[in-house]
Amino acid sequence: MLGGYISDLEAGDEFKPVSYVLTAFMASEYAHSVEETCEWYHSPRSPTGRQMRPPTMIHVDKMRILEENCLKERRVSGEKGPDARVHYEYYARQHSPAYVGETLTVSGKITDKYVKRGRTYIDYYLEVRAGDGRLVTTYTDKTLLKYTPEGE
Amino acid sequence: MDNVVASYKVGDVIKGPVRYMTPERIEWYDSGMLSAAKGELAQVGANIHTDDEFARSQGLPAVIADGMIMTNWCSEMMVAHFGMDYLSRGELRTKFIKPVFLDETVSVFAKVLTIEPSGNGGRTYVLDVWCENDKGVKVTDGHARVETGGRTRSAT
Repeated sequence: MLGGYISDLEAGDEFKPVSYVLTAFMASEYAHSVEETCEWYHSPRSPTGRQMRPPTMIHVDKMRILEENCLKERRVSGEKGPDARVHYEYYARQHSPAYVGETLTVSGKITDKYVKRGRTYIDYYLEVRAGDGRLVTTYTDKTLLKYTPEGE
Repeated sequence: MDNVVASYKVGDVIKGPVRYMTPERIEWYDSGMLSAAKGELAQVGANIHTDDEFARSQGLPAVIADGMIMTNWCSEMMVAHFGMDYLSRGELRTKFIKPVFLDETVSVFAKVLTIEPSGNGGRTYVLDVWCENDKGVKVTDGHARVETGGRTRSAT
């Protein structure tokens, strides 16, 4: 169910897409946060002559789309849900770089939700497209909704 | 760089960064991620990565590093070795199979599993990618796949 907590999401839920303009600050700040010194993420001094974002920023896109679709738990805004989640799997496929100044649109859905050994997992599929329609990233993600198994 | 990538053979091991996990590194990531999402400087609050008491309230023994820190260190290794080919048509999969605690040293590796000709005259590399702690225990496991084109330009 959209509009509630992240733990309310169900398989088949399709997110309302989110669009934003990628800024130099976003790309550089994210790269800086993981000590990534590749100049291509920090300035236009790249093989294409344009500053690009780290491909791992799809994880920020996941936060963005959750922020807009799970209104009771907005981590960017500092609103927590009842339980902390634990990220279990990241799987990103790049189709083209994303450049500073481009409008990026994130869309996606919940592909599965299941219980394994008392723990509930949720699977996401997300994709990012640039303003010209170019596919940038496709992404699947597996997240544990609560660390402590039910009943413990 | 073309020559370096071209010289890779099946079984070759590539080494990425070796870093000690500190509260600062965890805070840098969480605040950096928030800042990137907001588009302005932001400071992370208490969560399972930054606050021991909160982590224990969630059933964890102590704060754990965000798994995306290790993913980013793997990605750093990939862009350093495969450059634009990784950014244009690479893939990276990481599974966070064990938590990383403060004061652990994390080392990043990749091993070339296969090298096949690709349709564009380049090659497709498939690699095991993993991180291990100072006891040699694998904490992150995954793989990468990169199709190289006519030229591969390093990021370094």
